[in-house]
Amino acid sequence: MSTWTAATDPLRVDLTLNGNEVSLEAGVRWTLADAVRAQGLTGTHLGCEHGVCGACTVLLDGQPVRACLVLAPQASGRRVDTVEALGTPDELHPVQEALLEARGLQCGFCTPGFAVLAAWLREQRPDAGPAEVREVLSSNLCRCTGYGPIVKAVSGR
Amino acid sequence: MRAPPFAYARADSLDDALMLLAEAGDEAKLLAGGQSLLPLLAFRVVRPTHLVDIDALGTLAGIQQVSDGLRIGALTRHETLARADLTGGERLLAVAASHVGHVPIRMRGTIGGSVAHADPSAELPAALLALDAHVLVRSATGERTIRAAEMFVGPFTTALAPDEVLVAVIVPTVARSCRHGFGEFAVRSGDFALASVAVVVSVDVGSVDRARIVLGGVDATPIRATGAEAVLTGSELTDEVIDEAAATAAAECDPAEDATTTAAYRRRLVARLVRDALVQARDKGSG
Amino acid sequence: MSGAIGARAPRLRDATLVAGRGRFVADLDLPGQAWARVVRSPVAHAALRGIDIDAALAHPGVVAVLTASDLPDVRIPIRLTFAATPEAEGVLQPVLARTVVRYVGEPVALVIAEDAWTAEDAAELVTLDLEILDAATQVVAAATTGAPLVHAETGTNVLNTIPMQYGDVESAFSDAAVVVRRRLELPRQTGVPLETRGLLAEPGEAALTVWGAAKVKHFNRGALAELLGVDAATIRLVEVDVGGGFGVRGELYPEDVLIPAAALRLGRPVKWVEDRAEHLVATNHARCQVHELEVAATAEGRLLGFRGTAWVDQGAYVRTQGILPALLPATHLPGPYRWEAFAQTTHAVLTHRTPIGTYRGPGMTEASFVRERMLDVVASELGLDPVELRRRNLIRADEMPFMYDLGPASPPIVYEHGDFAEGFEELLRSAGYDELCTERDRRRAGGVHVGIGVAATVELGAIGPFEEATVSAERDGRVIVRAGVGSLGQGVETVLAQIAADELDVDPALVEVRHHDTADVASGFGTFASRTTVVAGNAVALACRALMEQAAAQGVGPAELGEVTGRFDKPHPSFSFGATLSFVSLDPETGRTTPERHVVLHDVGRAINPALVEGQLAGAAVQGVAGALFEELPYDETGQPLAVSLADYRLPTAAEAPPVDVVLVEGPVPDNPLGVKGAGEAGMVGAAAAVANAVADALPATAGEPLVLPLTPRRVSELANGGR
Repeated sequence: MSTWTAATDPLRVDLTLNGNEVSLEAGVRWTLADAVRAQGLTGTHLGCEHGVCGACTVLLDGQPVRACLVLAPQASGRRVDTVEALGTPDELHPVQEALLEARGLQCGFCTPGFAVLAAWLREQRPDAGPAEVREVLSSNLCRCTGYGPIVKAVSGR
Repeated sequence: MRAPPFAYARADSLDDALMLLAEAGDEAKLLAGGQSLLPLLAFRVVRPTHLVDIDALGTLAGIQQVSDGLRIGALTRHETLARADLTGGERLLAVAASHVGHVPIRMRGTIGGSVAHADPSAELPAALLALDAHVLVRSATGERTIRAAEMFVGPFTTALAPDEVLVAVIVPTVARSCRHGFGEFAVRSGDFALASVAVVVSVDVGSVDRARIVLGGVDATPIRATGAEAVLTGSELTDEVIDEAAATAAAECDPAEDATTTAAYRRRLVARLVRDALVQARDKGSG
Repeated sequence: MSGAIGARAPRLRDATLVAGRGRFVADLDLPGQAWARVVRSPVAHAALRGIDIDAALAHPGVVAVLTASDLPDVRIPIRLTFAATPEAEGVLQPVLARTVVRYVGEPVALVIAEDAWTAEDAAELVTLDLEILDAATQVVAAATTGAPLVHAETGTNVLNTIPMQYGDVESAFSDAAVVVRRRLELPRQTGVPLETRGLLAEPGEAALTVWGAAKVKHFNRGALAELLGVDAATIRLVEVDVGGGFGVRGELYPEDVLIPAAALRLGRPVKWVEDRAEHLVATNHARCQVHELEVAATAEGRLLGFRGTAWVDQGAYVRTQGILPALLPATHLPGPYRWEAFAQTTHAVLTHRTPIGTYRGPGMTEASFVRERMLDVVASELGLDPVELRRRNLIRADEMPFMYDLGPASPPIVYEHGDFAEGFEELLRSAGYDELCTERDRRRAGGVHVGIGVAATVELGAIGPFEEATVSAERDGRVIVRAGVGSLGQGVETVLAQIAADELDVDPALVEVRHHDTADVASGFGTFASRTTVVAGNAVALACRALMEQAAAQGVGPAELGEVTGRFDKPHPSFSFGATLSFVSLDPETGRTTPERHVVLHDVGRAINPALVEGQLAGAAVQGVAGALFEELPYDETGQPLAVSLADYRLPTAAEAPPVDVVLVEGPVPDNPLGVKGAGEAGMVGAAAAVANAVADALPATAGEPLVLPLTPRRVSELANGGR
């Protein structure tokens, strides 16, 4: 039978994080967002901690999820990719370039979540039309831009 | 908004999960996709002593035809169900699943979790009731079947015992030959629905043979609009009949009021949603 | 290079932010840091008989628990002295509640622990001995005699009553062919930046550094020093990346005193990050007002006068902005129109709810909604097109400067320059108004409920009193600009860099704008009220001109000189013109309102970076549309907030946001060297007004009038269905 980890005990989470095999020590109550941020990957932002805003969007086994709604130990043995894996300021991912060109960011707090979601959308649903793009992007909140430039960046219009 | 303290164990099999649940006692909770549980933990409105994590039990996921119908494993994710190639009335499940939240929620949330959570405004419980589905549950002492009509007992309350795990949902074969319709009204994309309607109708030589009209979000559990169903039974699905059924459904439900929503408004939504769902079932809902 | 002004230059920080390499305060950690968690009142009004911290202190990992008795008995001061009254000074907020709690969310204690989980667990163990009292939870009811008092010693919840008078109102009304009277209501709303507040206070040898500052750093530093009883030179506030402000972030809050106090007391860094549930009760609210307004007009639709009463909610305490929320609406009621007379009485009212501050376009958004709805009601009474009514009353260019002399007790309302009538025409042209009318009529004939609404507005901005900026040219070609402003995410560094680059004829990429650190920038009034580009921007321009003049006069290159200062004085704020058009469709059964098009025009004087200005206008417009249709913070009768998460407080998603067309009007602006006007809030000001007018136009003829915001599906459905 599996063993219990008590509330106050640490636990180990072994996962593939941005392509690297890592073994993290985490708290039992940590979410995946807490765990990646504790690794210094602070691009995954906490905007609400209850799964509404999407600022914490990461890829779990290649699928977009809200990292604040995944308990850290649930990532064990899986692949997690954060915004930091998409690109660097000097070498941006094409969707990040598109966001930049379209002025799809102002304060930048929601931006990593959108970048991760948009990169997935482009790659995994390349035939998505503008309506589907807008519907998928409605998953994440932005308070600064009013969304026009974000939708334009991702759908090309 | 950090979760209150709990002990945690990750089950490596269903039997393991059952043993862990039995050991942990009544204040334990199962954790699957976590899309309903984790927000509750964040607000500390639930304080489980133990979490039994069954998220990794892949054998509990999957959609397959079985002898008495369509079997959907409890850990089947909403997005998988939404994109599944289903036939006839079974498609209602895919449509309902596609309305759950947003993509990242659907990637994690499971049908078992949705059923066990029993949010009165949730899409899948309403769809299961409309399809006259049943669920398979297992405990350390054995397995049993619970019909959808008996499953949802009250708001966030099911007929599941604390030591039971929901294993699968079975949609009876007859659904395949039925027509379906679904609709919900939410203020924003992805919000919880203020009202939802799931309909499954079997049509024999032009007139309605059996109808199941389920209203979600307007009572403690999803409910059958039996008066509206009676209006349809034996009739053709004309606009007039549909309008009458819609009006009947609105009149026969008794929605609760809260700070921002009135019963009268919810009834108006019900009328509209029933009408639209029945039109859908008539015009498009055969495949 | 000349041409830097007007260029759609990329923002200097964008690549870093889009790559997720920004550094927001929650991303900062210091060795030895402890985590703080605020214990907050769970009730709206109670006598605080005692606080038991023993269980919390005994919890493993807890470092300290602070209550009011551990701190000096200080109050959060009013920053805006022109908005201070003796009554307001009497109801300032203590840093921690001492003997009474006055709103759900009021800070009562501070728990400091080794990690954030422990701090939150331990905070639950603090028990409050509360004797629950009745609460005043609705702004008009709170103003009546016998309402539960928020501050017993005031004798009334009406803090101040502010009159405004112009001309002979009696005579204006007696001449009127039509008089309409309505009651209009706006809900509590708030800014909700995606990043919640946070602070990291780090005690050090020379100074206490507080990371996570914003908006008005220099005032906050001075105020904090005074409240802590230390020399201002020993406090350093540093701004890092900021996830939006919208007016609500950056004011001095109780936490801004508590966290540094804790760090000083413990001699170790203390970190605090507000969670979203806290944010919705702890960070300033706004907008909550009730107006009863009468408007008089001639049979030809010439506006004669208005008179009204407004109740403006101030919440449980007056904080740093004084009674500004109650001062701004009246000032904006006349708008860009010619009136013979008006009279307005505004009550600033205390309630047992979260204190009120300024949220983007404060007072002006509310006043615009009220006035523009009333204009459409007048138009309807007269059988006149709402656009035509406005055409007949908008102030023209040849009437500038235009002044409403409000008498000896109030500063006048002065519109210095602008062509309001032409601006409105420009909106209609840009929106394709005639084609929209045709489309509306065609779709209506097909049974669809569609409507067009317009609003013409003025907005007060570019508040002084002044800014100083310094500029120095480095030998390696870089230019360093320092200004005491803040960035909330709008691109301040880029705009100021463009200004400097234009003046000095260099590449903007060589200009480094420093504004983040009070240790690096001597002073500044901060970023709010759409002032930064105007006041700081001109200060930067003047500093650059002085640098070039001095270099020329001395016959040396600018890099030979040290830092040169420029100062721009702005003794009076300025009004700028805006106009909005909204096209909506709605479903009268479900009440769902779909804003299909939204056009916002604003007179910006001169767009330093058109792309950034457009972004500000569009973003504010979508916030404004959401304020018209979705956002509200309701309370129950005991003062419990009912919107406690982002599932309840409905920010728009991409699915609800309309496409926004932005029209920038540029033209000569005589009162500043750069010729610029403020624009950061402008997109908001007319949004609710235009959307509400469009809803009114779209509703069936038998429907009720939209007079209460937000126009949620339920409200719209009720208007269309006989109020049920």
